[in-house]
Amino acid sequence: MIEPRDEELSRIYRDAEGPQPPQRVDDNIIAASRRVAGAKPRSARAGFVRRWSAPVALAATVVVTSTLTLVEFDRQSDPDTTTSAASSDDRPSRSRSARQKATAPATPTPQARRDREEPRAGEGTASNERLATGQPAFAADVPRAPAGADQPAPSPDAQRAPEVLRQVPRAPATPLAADANTLRESALTLQRAGVMSAPAGRVAVSEARERTPEKWLEDIRKLKTQAKTAEAERELAEFRKRYPDYRLPEDLR
Amino acid sequence: MRGEASDEELMLRYGKGDVRAFEVLYRRHRLPLYRFLLRQAGDAAAAEELFQDTWMRVVNSRGRYEVRTKFTAWVYAIAHDRLMDFFRARASFPGREESESALEDLPAREIAAELRLDRKRAAERLLAALAALPDAQREAFLLQQEGELSIEEIAATTGASRETAKSRLRHAVAKLRAGLEKES
Repeated sequence: MIEPRDEELSRIYRDAEGPQPPQRVDDNIIAASRRVAGAKPRSARAGFVRRWSAPVALAATVVVTSTLTLVEFDRQSDPDTTTSAASSDDRPSRSRSARQKATAPATPTPQARRDREEPRAGEGTASNERLATGQPAFAADVPRAPAGADQPAPSPDAQRAPEVLRQVPRAPATPLAADANTLRESALTLQRAGVMSAPAGRVAVSEARERTPEKWLEDIRKLKTQAKTAEAERELAEFRKRYPDYRLPEDLR
Repeated sequence: MRGEASDEELMLRYGKGDVRAFEVLYRRHRLPLYRFLLRQAGDAAAAEELFQDTWMRVVNSRGRYEVRTKFTAWVYAIAHDRLMDFFRARASFPGREESESALEDLPAREIAAELRLDRKRAAERLLAALAALPDAQREAFLLQQEGELSIEEIAATTGASRETAKSRLRHAVAKLRAGLEKES
């Protein structure tokens, strides 16, 4: 390609003393080039964080919300809360007790103390009496009686019971021993009658110890409903022995 | 090709984070680009600002740079755009062109006589004649001298047709020759 380039003119032009950019301009540009090039990896990280921050935050929110919902659902589905006020306030639920076992610190928390100590609205006189005597509200919270020849060995769960449960005011050993003896007798009676095997009897004792009064009463109602009157009466008698102060519902009196 | 690495290679390396490559590139082109801007803007302060802005655009475009054209053509196109903004802001870029018929090729003998003058004086006269050129013609001349761009590259850089770029360059050269003769 022929271009109108005049070499002599170019030479004269290049002879002209060339102005130079100020040093500060050079420094600014070089510094900016380094800064921008150095910022590239940070930009990549920032992009990564920007890209994932929203999903991670959303996932965390979902997890926390689900957990809280499940906890609340578990709390609301507690069987004690669905029974009558009078009976439900007699003692805390088994699941609540289990939660206490799992989460109670070495010293009783205020909530734990309230659960054990505060009388609630509608609470019957029997529970008040138990509170007055320090008797625990229900079997799961029963402090271990002094080990005796006829006392069953503490279950592993009981051995693992946190300190808070051991700090519950201890009930007199005699009523507890009587309760345990009653349960054992009930199971032995069933074993002698051939209704239950020995291991099953032990299971029955264990179940009886863990069964709440409401559940027990509900089972008695079922027996009545199924026309098993004799069995229902026997269960009711055992219930009365086990919970002499419990105010029975009208339909079971 | 200057040195071991071409401008384009250096720019690509800078795009990958090689700061040293940019420094080589910058030192290679800082003077021509600054002179181009200074002689077009006619104002040192404005030239500094335009110069810095042009290089900052190069820096910020490092990740998008592709070797579609010569590096100098790309850089001078950026500088041209900045100059147009500058002229528009100053409203002093008429873009006037002189008619082809007004030009007359000066006899080579007279130019040779002029070129025998003291080189420094000649350079001063040339610069004075250059400053008197219309902006578009001066730009075409400077792009050729400083940027070492071809007619096609000048046309592409300035957004003009090849014929227009060629015409501007011819007019510029003719007037510069005339200016040198007149001073002598």
